[in-house]
Amino acid sequence: MKFPKSVLDINPGHEVSRISDFIRKMAFKEFKRRGAVIGLSGGIDSAVVAELCVRALGREKVLGLLLPEKESNPISLEYGRKQAKKMGIETETVDITENLSSLGVYQNRDVVIKGIFSEFNDSYKFHITLPQNLLEKDRLNYHSITIEDKNGVRQKKRISGTDWLKISACQNSKQRIRMIKMYYYAEKANYIVAGTTNKTEVMQGFYVKFGDGGVDLEPIAHLYKKQVYQLARHLGVIDEIISRPPSPDTYSLPVTDEEFYFCLDYELLDVLLYAYEKNVPFDEISNTLGLEKEQIERVFRDFKSKERATWHLRQMPPSLKD
Amino acid sequence: MGINSTIRNFIIENFLFEEDENLKEDTSFLENGIIDSTGILELVMFIEETYGIGVDDDEIVPENLDSISNITKYIQKKQEK
Repeated sequence: MKFPKSVLDINPGHEVSRISDFIRKMAFKEFKRRGAVIGLSGGIDSAVVAELCVRALGREKVLGLLLPEKESNPISLEYGRKQAKKMGIETETVDITENLSSLGVYQNRDVVIKGIFSEFNDSYKFHITLPQNLLEKDRLNYHSITIEDKNGVRQKKRISGTDWLKISACQNSKQRIRMIKMYYYAEKANYIVAGTTNKTEVMQGFYVKFGDGGVDLEPIAHLYKKQVYQLARHLGVIDEIISRPPSPDTYSLPVTDEEFYFCLDYELLDVLLYAYEKNVPFDEISNTLGLEKEQIERVFRDFKSKERATWHLRQMPPSLKD
Repeated sequence: MGINSTIRNFIIENFLFEEDENLKEDTSFLENGIIDSTGILELVMFIEETYGIGVDDDEIVPENLDSISNITKYIQKKQEK
């Protein structure tokens, strides 16, 4: 079979060695910096990048930054610290709530949410999702907001384009403030900022411009999320992080990457993204994954639409040549 | 102004920025990258406000909203109800 399910299997030992050489060469020889800063989110990508930096540069040259805010899942900080302790790296914890408040991020966003649900206040949590039936029927993507009161009672509504843009601009400030903090710590130590974006996220534009996309180096941007998991197991990332469902962790009400953006679980998403990238014939994809041609076409349309909407994330700002 | 002309003008003004780029009645917005997910929400709101109809979540599908002719048929169907 030309397109086996194992198509994304890698040799983790070889990959760790290859990436470590890359990080070492870039940090010391090209950037001429003494080490690396990594924002530890408590998730799999940052844990893997931190482990790789430790192997590449030595644990004493790696700084883990923990940057929670009042809406972060507390477990993120706990797991980030546990992972840092396991690696034996230095950490700094900086709560960015005050920075975000001073920019009016929470206040401006909450005004928008109150316009949708008048009862919304500080005791509520909320998140944003896309429709989840991507394989089942033709549909267009639209954003819905779910709020949850202190008794766990939820309400969900579709939001308008203008409300989504306002909420999104506020939420993206979280990653952008983190970027500022990372560069502050990196520059004063003469370190690079190591990015944590994987290939799945790069291809579909699942990161914030000048936020988590604002880094010096992207050590895992050539690896699909499924492959990042393979590295995580090889590198000994703590089990709590490996078994945690991936989440943007920027909404007060927990939401997974699948619910918020991809609409497919990573297992299927990555194999289909590979097939999409490599133009694997539909019958081969169908045979391997047991999907109808119609379902594959539906997913590919969604890939194309997200790819097109986020093209500018993957480019330098356009400019005239002369 | 007819429904198709109104929708056409809205699409050109808001998503093609005054350049009609050979926008035909059956041009797929999705296939041609004319409208993204934010645009869909704007389009739905425009339809609701202009024609006084409610668009249900399960009606936000290409069959209803992915071209000028699909939207026109969808609005006509809703107005008949």
